[in-house]
Amino acid sequence: MSELMSLLLALLFFVPILSSVPIAFAWVYRREEPWVKKLPILSVIGLFISLVIALYIKFYVPDGPHVINWLPDLNINFVFIFDYLSKNMGVLTALIAFLIGVYGLEYMKDDYRLGWYWFFFNLFTASMLLVVYSDNLLMLLIGWEGLGLASWGLIGHWFRDDDDISFVGMKDRKILGLSLHWSPSFGGWRAISTIRVGDMPMFFAIAAIFALTSALGTPNLNISEIPWQELFKYIGSAGTIILLIALMIGPFTKSAQLPFSEWLMTAMTGPTTVSALLHSATMVAAGTYIFMRLSWYIKPWDMHAAPGLETVYLVVLFLGLISALYGALVAVGCRERKVLLAASTMSSLGLMFGAAAASFWVGEIGVSVAFWYLMVHAFAKATLFLVAGHLIHVTHNRFCVGDKEVAKKLKVTYYVTIFATITLAGIPPLTAFWVKSGMDEVMHTLIEEGMLAPLVLLLITSVIYAAFLAKFLSLNFIKGEKAHLSLHGGKIMATAYTVMVSMLIVLLMYVILSHGHVESELIHMGLERNSMIVGLVVIVSYSFAIFKPSIKALYSVGTFLGDRMYMAFLNDFIVPKIGWAIAIVVDYGNRSIDYSCHKAIPSLFEVSSHNIRSIQSGYLKRYMKIVLGLVMVILVAISIIGM
Amino acid sequence: MEFLEFLVFFSSLILLTLGAALSFKTNKGALLICLVALLIILPMSKLNPYVAFVIVIAILNLISLEILKHNQIKGVDYALVALMAIATIFVIYTRDLVLVLATFVLVSVPTYVLIMISDKKANVDTGIKYITFMVIATVLFLIGAVLLIYAHSNHISNLYIIGYIMFILGLCLEIGCAPLHEWVPDVFTSADSIPLSIIASLAKIIPFIVAYKILITTTFNPLTASISIFVALIAAISMFIGNIGALTAKELSRVLAYSTVANMGYILATLVVFVNVEYVYLALTGALLQLFVNSYGKIGFFTSIKEGGASKPLMYMLALSFIGLPPLMGFWSKLFILSSLVYVGYIWLAVILVINAAISVPYYLRLASELSISPKVSLANFIALIAVIITLITILPPNWFMEAMKTLI
Repeated sequence: MSELMSLLLALLFFVPILSSVPIAFAWVYRREEPWVKKLPILSVIGLFISLVIALYIKFYVPDGPHVINWLPDLNINFVFIFDYLSKNMGVLTALIAFLIGVYGLEYMKDDYRLGWYWFFFNLFTASMLLVVYSDNLLMLLIGWEGLGLASWGLIGHWFRDDDDISFVGMKDRKILGLSLHWSPSFGGWRAISTIRVGDMPMFFAIAAIFALTSALGTPNLNISEIPWQELFKYIGSAGTIILLIALMIGPFTKSAQLPFSEWLMTAMTGPTTVSALLHSATMVAAGTYIFMRLSWYIKPWDMHAAPGLETVYLVVLFLGLISALYGALVAVGCRERKVLLAASTMSSLGLMFGAAAASFWVGEIGVSVAFWYLMVHAFAKATLFLVAGHLIHVTHNRFCVGDKEVAKKLKVTYYVTIFATITLAGIPPLTAFWVKSGMDEVMHTLIEEGMLAPLVLLLITSVIYAAFLAKFLSLNFIKGEKAHLSLHGGKIMATAYTVMVSMLIVLLMYVILSHGHVESELIHMGLERNSMIVGLVVIVSYSFAIFKPSIKALYSVGTFLGDRMYMAFLNDFIVPKIGWAIAIVVDYGNRSIDYSCHKAIPSLFEVSSHNIRSIQSGYLKRYMKIVLGLVMVILVAISIIGM
Repeated sequence: MEFLEFLVFFSSLILLTLGAALSFKTNKGALLICLVALLIILPMSKLNPYVAFVIVIAILNLISLEILKHNQIKGVDYALVALMAIATIFVIYTRDLVLVLATFVLVSVPTYVLIMISDKKANVDTGIKYITFMVIATVLFLIGAVLLIYAHSNHISNLYIIGYIMFILGLCLEIGCAPLHEWVPDVFTSADSIPLSIIASLAKIIPFIVAYKILITTTFNPLTASISIFVALIAAISMFIGNIGALTAKELSRVLAYSTVANMGYILATLVVFVNVEYVYLALTGALLQLFVNSYGKIGFFTSIKEGGASKPLMYMLALSFIGLPPLMGFWSKLFILSSLVYVGYIWLAVILVINAAISVPYYLRLASELSISPKVSLANFIALIAVIITLITILPPNWFMEAMKTLI
């Protein structure tokens, strides 16, 4: 049984990668042959196999870890964990990746770099699955780095930077000399460089956990087995804060929380399928997922005595909620389809962090609510991205354009968008309503702890969230500018996002019909009076935005928000300045090394070498004076010392 | 000493006398008899590696004298070299103080004559310079040794210190350690290369053996512990002066002169090991291996200088052995020296030694590249080849040499 499990896990991770190897090579060496165009299907089949295995794990594998020994002496092994989080997350990841893969068959069919695309797409999925099922932090890092690498490859996929449709920002738009127009290659570079900044403290934190657990007894990197309580007691308050924040910097950058959000916005330079995958179940979700998984096993609600832990959770709570508000505001101001959705993703991720962090005070339900929100958001956001991709294809415009004619011509797309937006906005009685109610209740509970701000932030964010979703719908299908449509094909794409959006109904059924602990809790909380009021406010906000998607009077405010409150200055101006400062210091270091190696040390040796030889005058008399003088001086000196 | 050994040494001395006498008739015969005189010692020694190494050095010296066929003492020079070799071997078979000191003189005196020979005019100036220094050295060394032994047996610590210092100063002067090295660069640049190859190789061994013999019998802990700092300082100065001095020297024999100063510094450093007698075997192994590295390298380089160069790989191998690249002998010698220094607590000296090994890299490589010429059949190539083969012997880690040294002590 154990061997079968190991085999299945190997298949789960390696089949997607291996199935994309043929296209990767064929595209380089045999691009002209007709059969090469069929090879992407093989890649999608690989994704399907992963999905089947993930489903098998969800329904037939009992909870618990599965260990494959690697370095048992150091307690570094391939440890996989099957629990509520990983089972559901695995299915979610594999399913979304598979559906987007199907969509990509049509969307990417005329691309100039298919080998590159499919290899990194499948590597992306496999890496995420590894992150999802890993219990060992070191192994998780492998998947984590795979995500980073694949995101760089995919965001910068259109590396030729030759088509404005793949850019982010407006051409020729400059503020204070800084161009607000980003190319795909730049986007890829920005993504990987930002993520690396976060990864470094994370590496050190993991190394520190290894060292500290060794000091406590046996080295341990398995999230579910680390003796967190003893660990926190051992390193004290400051140690806990430093360790956990350093560990969390990785998830913060991956999930694009403030101030690391810019890379996510320019990540929209990648193909839409990539954005869809990146924003739903992989990459950005990995950050929040890691936090949920950590909280799931740290059990902070049982550990109020642990020093410093409350500070950490407080930081995450407010960082998440403020990022959520920032993302929502940016989305309201945004006019680009994908950037709007990207900002909304950032907002959602902030809410997930906030809810999961609230678990410190409210208990496990905080994590559960956050996780449910992750799932709902993943399907809805993937749907919206796929829709946006379809619209970009049809209108050949990356800004929000389209009037009722679009809705008429693309009926399925229209209805899917309506359903996805109202579901995600949290309009009762659809899926996100129950989950958001859970979140409301969680934040409401925090008032007992003397914190009103989280609830206020959440409510404002929810209202704005509904508004910009409605704006997206309205500007693309109802009240946008007239768009020139070029309709052809699109059947596979439409099928893919229709299936995707129907998953929201599956989730809704699951919430209503399942008698699980978490689900019934969600229903219970959704029926509270407060939640109903919030639901009504959201409906009002949504309806208002449908009818008034853009307000002329607020144009300058909108531009400020749409420019992302000039956060780009941090990435494109301040950070490069720091980089230059470092480069200058390094340059001086290099020069001083050059000077000492090429000038100072050689001339020092030359001069001393000449001096050493300068006593060789050739006269015996002089030599005798030196030698006899030295011998006498030494003997006299020794005699004096010796006495 | 056993009767057999006595017999062998005695008969080889008789052979040498015969050889010297025969040289008035035939040079070839003299060379042959001298070789035989050396080779009969080898079976007697039961193939002791030390004896074998010394005999090979002596044979290479004898062969190199062929290049200098027309010198002032032709024929007798073979016997002189062989005599030095026999004395160098004899010293490990005797425990008699007088005989030990006699061997020292026996090796020193032939060099007085050898230094002057040349295939042109005799180098009398150089000879005078050399002899003046050697006489002072020998006096200091012998008086120092006698004082040491006297002070040790009578427990007079002040006298012991004076004796020790005189002894070490004499040793430094004899072998050319800085700051008493003034004669070395002058003599090495003005004398003929072939006698220099003998003086830089065969003549350097016995002073150290005698020093080890005297010091091991007169170790005076804890006095040795405090006084050994003197040796360490001289060794460090010598390494630096030698290596830095050689860096920019233009004349090749001058480079070799400073290289000798540096190498003598390395070997002198091992004398600090008497702080802890337990590790003397390690230091002796390192010192002797370094002496052999120095001897074979110097013979190869000096004969090449005399003949205008030698084959490139051979020159580079010798240079790399000096630098201390594994698995050449120069690596092992430095390794043993370093480990003995570290074991007795002279870590700073070990660090200085390593730094100096690094400083020496440029000039050894320069030496090798300047001496490299296109391959041809020559005596220098043959001698260098033998030298390289010997330095390659330590591809087998020289534990065998260390074991032999242990039994010697």
